[in-house]
Amino acid sequence: MSLTPLLRKVFMVDLVKGLSVTFQNQSEKERVTEQYPLERPVVFERYRGQPRLNVNPETGESLCIVCNLCALACPEQLIVVKGERNPVTKRKEVVSWTYDLSRCMFCGLCEEACSTDALELTQDYEMALYSREGMMLDQAALEHGQEPVRYAK
Amino acid sequence: MLEAIKSYLNSAVTPGEAGSQLWAAIYIIAITLGVSLSVIAMNWLERKILAHMQIRLGPMRVGPHGLMQPFADALKLLIKEDIIPNNADKLVFWMAPVVVTMTAFTTFLVVPFGRTHAVTDMNIGVLFMLGISSLGVLGIIMAGWASNSKYPLMGSLRSSAQMVSYEIAMGLAIVCAVLMTSLQTGTGTLSMIGIVESQYAQGTWFIFKFFPLGFIAFIVFAIAMIAETNRAPFDLPEAESELVAGFHTEYSGFRWSLFFLAEYTAMLGVSSIAVTLWLGGWLRPFPNALGGPTWDLAFSLIPGLTVLAMAAGTFLGTIRMPKIVQMRAQVISLGVVAVLLALVGLFLLLPGVRGRVQDIFWFVAKVACFMYMYIWYRGTFPRYRFDQLMKVGWKVLLPIGLGVLILTAVVGMRQELLAAIVGGAR
Repeated sequence: MSLTPLLRKVFMVDLVKGLSVTFQNQSEKERVTEQYPLERPVVFERYRGQPRLNVNPETGESLCIVCNLCALACPEQLIVVKGERNPVTKRKEVVSWTYDLSRCMFCGLCEEACSTDALELTQDYEMALYSREGMMLDQAALEHGQEPVRYAK
Repeated sequence: MLEAIKSYLNSAVTPGEAGSQLWAAIYIIAITLGVSLSVIAMNWLERKILAHMQIRLGPMRVGPHGLMQPFADALKLLIKEDIIPNNADKLVFWMAPVVVTMTAFTTFLVVPFGRTHAVTDMNIGVLFMLGISSLGVLGIIMAGWASNSKYPLMGSLRSSAQMVSYEIAMGLAIVCAVLMTSLQTGTGTLSMIGIVESQYAQGTWFIFKFFPLGFIAFIVFAIAMIAETNRAPFDLPEAESELVAGFHTEYSGFRWSLFFLAEYTAMLGVSSIAVTLWLGGWLRPFPNALGGPTWDLAFSLIPGLTVLAMAAGTFLGTIRMPKIVQMRAQVISLGVVAVLLALVGLFLLLPGVRGRVQDIFWFVAKVACFMYMYIWYRGTFPRYRFDQLMKVGWKVLLPIGLGVLILTAVVGMRQELLAAIVGGAR
């Protein structure tokens, strides 16, 4: 029988190793918990979250030209865009926009398909809701974001 | 009345020895309050340190850094419904937490926080502490039996088996220390104060006496005392993954908090035994080698400076708190804590105070190290299986304890032995 394992046992080397691991873990650098509402995590630049329909910041008009490319690109077919040609400007304008967030898997294909950069998956990650109905986003919800439920008076 | 108060103030012995009942009562109240407060502090510290070891934050919301969490918990426990199971033995069920708490607190009668800071100096101090603290297991068995439920019964059975096995190793280790008191000075003593004084007289803490014999005895005691107080990794009586909560499964509210209080008080109690027997009790580091008025002054400043350093750390924490509106109340209260700590630190630096509190400080600091070790072990080691527990107790600690005891006796009596052998040869 070799002497090393016995000596390891007698001097409790393994136990001391374990103790040193837990001792080092107390360092503040190791801490991973975030105090969520007070401390907000920084998500990556390419994080795909809450969808948004961009508007022209100067005129306030929707950038969407109702080309339907996003609806075609969507593997879940959760985007339904209906438009009508405006007889005056000869441009197609949005009549109704629906985005079913409950079926979305945030693949970002719609974003890539969009020819005018109107549809964008933002870095907003707070999408929890109390009802499924709220997950059917219309044009207003997509352009201005969802109004969060406020509980304080 | 005034005479009774004054009569004790200048004496250099404990109230028990001086025969001052009033001061004994004051000491008892002060120690009870202090121990309860440190149990509350331990509750917070354990949750925080354990969380940090597991890379978590621990309580953060109730007060700054969760400082008010134990008070919130205590309030919750006090207003909880008090349930006694239908088939429980009501009287015994009611008695069990009382027995556990009482025995845990009674041990502090003989704990010397300083030469004058003990309720009394009992000439069988160590024996008294051991006897009373082993009575605590009676309360645990009562709780398990009276609950009339299988998990508590299993827990208390485990507890009694564990106590029986580890008490022997513990006793052997203690006898080692008691043997050491009789060496060189000639007269052995069981009194807690006497043991510390003989460490001062022999010029060494018993942990370094006959190195490594004293150290091994200390290790045996340190392992056995964790088992005695049912703490991780020997927490089989209350193994939550196996027995729900062990012997206090059926307890709720205030009764449960009494068990909690008793557990931590017992931890403090056995830690004080270990400190008294091996780490020189209230003695400051190097009382003999670094003697003289200069060193005395330097060491007497340490308690105040330590508290001031804690205050500085708290102040640093206050500065580093997130600066948002929701946290303003917490930042302000943490600042108040820092100021209070600084005031306490300055108070401890006063010339009249620092001489009196110095020995209390060193004793408490040593016990605090033990309490940290308890949390550290709990954060590190997985629980032993029952047969492993028994194996450690009977096959490892008991033989080591016996061997150390015999070796201590032989080494201590080496001159007499040599003389006898030489004389016999002649």
